[in-house]
Amino acid sequence: MSWNIQWNKLIFSSDVSFDEKCRSVFRFQAKNNPFYKRYLSVFGMNFDSSPDPDEIPLLPIRAFKDAEIITEHEEPAFVFRSSGTSGMERSIHLIADPGLYRKSITKEFYRHFPREHYSLLCYMTGYNENPDSSLIWMSKHLVETDSSGCSSFITAEKQAAGRYIRKIKEKNRIPVLFGAAFGLLDLIDAGISELPPDSHIIETGGMKTYRREMTKSELRQRLAEGFGVEESQIHSEYGMCELLSQMYAIGGEWFTCPHWVRVTIRDPENPSRICEPGEQGKIGLIDLANVYSCAFILTEDRGTKNKDGTFQVLGRWSSADLRGCNFLIDRD
Amino acid sequence: MSGTQKHIEKISKTVEEWLRPDNLQLKDAIERTAAASFFSFEDIKHRILVLKHSLTQKNLEKWAKISKLRENSLRDKDVLCLHAGNLPLVGIQDLLAVVMAGGSYSGKISRKDPHLLQTFLNILDVNGLLPNSHWSTEISDLSGRNADALLFAGSEHSVDSVLQTVQKLKLLKPEAHKLMRTAHFSIAYITEHEPQTMEDLTESVFRYGGAGCRSVAIVVAPFHLNSQKCSFTDYVEALWLNNPQHEKPPESLFHRFAYNKAMEIPQAWLNDFLIEQTFLKPDNKFILHWVKGNFETVQTIVNQFQDGLQSVYSTADYIGKKIGEFRIEPLSEAQSPPVWWKPDQVDTIEWLQTHIGKSAN
Repeated sequence: MSWNIQWNKLIFSSDVSFDEKCRSVFRFQAKNNPFYKRYLSVFGMNFDSSPDPDEIPLLPIRAFKDAEIITEHEEPAFVFRSSGTSGMERSIHLIADPGLYRKSITKEFYRHFPREHYSLLCYMTGYNENPDSSLIWMSKHLVETDSSGCSSFITAEKQAAGRYIRKIKEKNRIPVLFGAAFGLLDLIDAGISELPPDSHIIETGGMKTYRREMTKSELRQRLAEGFGVEESQIHSEYGMCELLSQMYAIGGEWFTCPHWVRVTIRDPENPSRICEPGEQGKIGLIDLANVYSCAFILTEDRGTKNKDGTFQVLGRWSSADLRGCNFLIDRD
Repeated sequence: MSGTQKHIEKISKTVEEWLRPDNLQLKDAIERTAAASFFSFEDIKHRILVLKHSLTQKNLEKWAKISKLRENSLRDKDVLCLHAGNLPLVGIQDLLAVVMAGGSYSGKISRKDPHLLQTFLNILDVNGLLPNSHWSTEISDLSGRNADALLFAGSEHSVDSVLQTVQKLKLLKPEAHKLMRTAHFSIAYITEHEPQTMEDLTESVFRYGGAGCRSVAIVVAPFHLNSQKCSFTDYVEALWLNNPQHEKPPESLFHRFAYNKAMEIPQAWLNDFLIEQTFLKPDNKFILHWVKGNFETVQTIVNQFQDGLQSVYSTADYIGKKIGEFRIEPLSEAQSPPVWWKPDQVDTIEWLQTHIGKSAN
């Protein structure tokens, strides 16, 4: 079989149905990803199989800790590593085609925050210790692709932050402050909280929960009060080192997916079973941008899904291995 | 005959009366337990048989000697026993410890095993061996007992909530002592694969479907799993022929099998059980971890996983040797322990006497 497919075009094309794209990626991985191929064989599947997306076995996310997950004949251009304290196992995501990540980042981010109106201020202090962070890479890419030149990384230094904010406003643009939840709270504590009232905040989840535990709704309220914006301007991002796509919860706690990602909630006792709307389980993801690693992933995150297809992240299924990609504390 | 001997004789006669084949109450309890599918009939039968052999007067006297039992050392003392429900009659040793030391028994009987222990309690009561005692499957029925000590056996995850409930219902005096036993797996070390060893190993792993802290969850052997996979599977099938696996594993076990396959981990899939060659702390009763190694490997595992470890078993050459606080026990006794076996390495009578017992005089 020839795999002369331009994944970059196919995956992000809205002219091709998700199911069709998913089938192509499945067959490609069933043939070319040795790890996933062995996994599938136990379920009696191979590259000739044509399962519905919901029937495709999801690979436990710890595979990214235990093995090199990459399709044959691909050399990684670079590597993402999850954050983690010493002694903690870290996930490794080998990136064969950075172009897929670039496109995935910008397509979904600019869908919510069009590039002609918004500029980004990234506060990522906690992640500087991890040079292989996918979140830092993503932030850099978004800063670099802002042709207005107004996007930037900021520190907790008040005057410098103020200059960046003024620059954005002088160009009649809207600031989007982007950072890990507890880093943003640090900014408030540092007095860097004077944002224009039309600003938006995106929190990317916890940072090893180095402060006291806090629910999502409590966090949203504190961010809104601290930065002087409406709660409807507080958003969340759900992403992780093992994924090349991100999901956003706009103005609330319910996430939507880009059209090349599908989320299901899986029964932890039987991951083949998809939970009913409202039922809690492990978050299962099909991220077609992961075509060169593994697109079919069962996370250890606890979630629930609505009838309208939006989903909520409620923490870790097991509290034993807190990693810090999204908000980890069960809601009240 | 000393007072202690007379007391033990009375207990022993009560046990005999309870385990007599014509005890219709026990027969009915066995039938109801099996019918409710709490445990398989075969597992209950095995358990009763083990108790018949272990709860003899001679063995009770031996336990009394080992634990330095003093006559009525727990008189006027109330002991709260919170029994687990993972094996039939799992709390009987705690009950006997209290009765032998002459204490009052406050028992929370497991809702997963409500009938069997009840029949023994009834007979003990009729024979005057349970003064001021009370028991129930509802913990709230024991409210305000203000017991002097707590004996708990169960999962580590439940300890906090159990203690909260105990406090809320005033089940214990504020100064009460607590024995919280949370061991949940055992290790076997084998050096050869003679039929008797493999049969004992099979029994030690699969007798109660992997449940119970005495069940073997890690086996250390000088050979790879793959070299013994076929013959070991035969032993397992032979055991299952007469003792079918009662509780079925969740589907997620099959997904683990698939993951192991992807990882190229040697393993054996037995439909209701998974054997995998991995060096991991057991956290799933349907998985046996096979480790290729020698006695040093066993020592390493014991040191690494001792939190949660119940027993270390082996065959003749190693029985009686010590690894830290663990004295190696016979593999053949994994599922048929003597009455004086020590859950979490603690002799219950000794512990009770030390903490709440009256002094020797």
